[in-house]
Amino acid sequence: MPLGIEVLGRHHRALLEDFRNQHQPLVDYLRRFALRHAEKDLLARTFLAIDDVAGSVRLAGYFTLATASVERIAVSSIESLNRLPGFPIPAVLLARLAVDERLQGQGLGRYLFEEALGLTLQLARSGPVSFRLFVTDAIDEAAAKFYERFRFSRLADEFPCRMVLDLKPLLDK
Amino acid sequence: MSRFQAQTTTILDEELTDLRERLGLRENQKADLLRELAELASWVIRQAEAGRRIEARLGRDVETLYSPAIERLRRKQDESFAERIDLTDAEVERLAEILDRGFSPTPALRKALSRIADPQRRPPRLHWKDTAA
Repeated sequence: MPLGIEVLGRHHRALLEDFRNQHQPLVDYLRRFALRHAEKDLLARTFLAIDDVAGSVRLAGYFTLATASVERIAVSSIESLNRLPGFPIPAVLLARLAVDERLQGQGLGRYLFEEALGLTLQLARSGPVSFRLFVTDAIDEAAAKFYERFRFSRLADEFPCRMVLDLKPLLDK
Repeated sequence: MSRFQAQTTTILDEELTDLRERLGLRENQKADLLRELAELASWVIRQAEAGRRIEARLGRDVETLYSPAIERLRRKQDESFAERIDLTDAEVERLAEILDRGFSPTPALRKALSRIADPQRRPPRLHWKDTAA
């Protein structure tokens, strides 16, 4: 079976220990918090890229999605949003995305990003609620450049750098 | 300030001496004491980081550890996701530009959208560097 995407569950625990990434917080999050945030706190859901080659199952990468909202008071000066009611602007937060360092440069990051974007668009189009923004926090310059290729824009200059993609034009298409 | 530090140091010294004696260490074993305390603190912090409550139990008697340090740790973890995003003025200006520009996808975004819509889409074939011949 080739690479598959699975929602993180308790039965994946043993796989998490072998995951390696040059950014230790991305490894720590996966090993310590991802399951708790998904099953106990209901803060976020993590999706694993499981590579199964001839029965040898390994964790190739992961991404985590959560909801977020931009406070309306913070964006009251934006004219196009002034027509809207005063609710916070709903967003999906791509909270984490990481590829095992032994697999980098093979297109897995792009594949995981597409999975995350696809799930977000699906939710925004036909889910019970809608979202205007897709938000992420780039961990470094390389990550920021990666997201810029997909039309994300930086809101700040420091790292981790908050970046946003407006989903409305994509949903209108 | 120096008076405050001197007082604090005295109180700390007294507490450490008390702990040293209760743990059965001699006066020349302060380094051993600190090492043992660090090990204990490290275990407690590790459990709290894993989301566990620290409790002391004796029969039906249960005492939970409440500490400002543990609370700080919890808050830090809970804030790891920005559920509520507040923006600075400069960030608001940039967001306004983004929201006003309409549909202008980059080539990579166009390809991504097209691949997402393709039912035949396949994941990349991976080669693990540590298993490569």
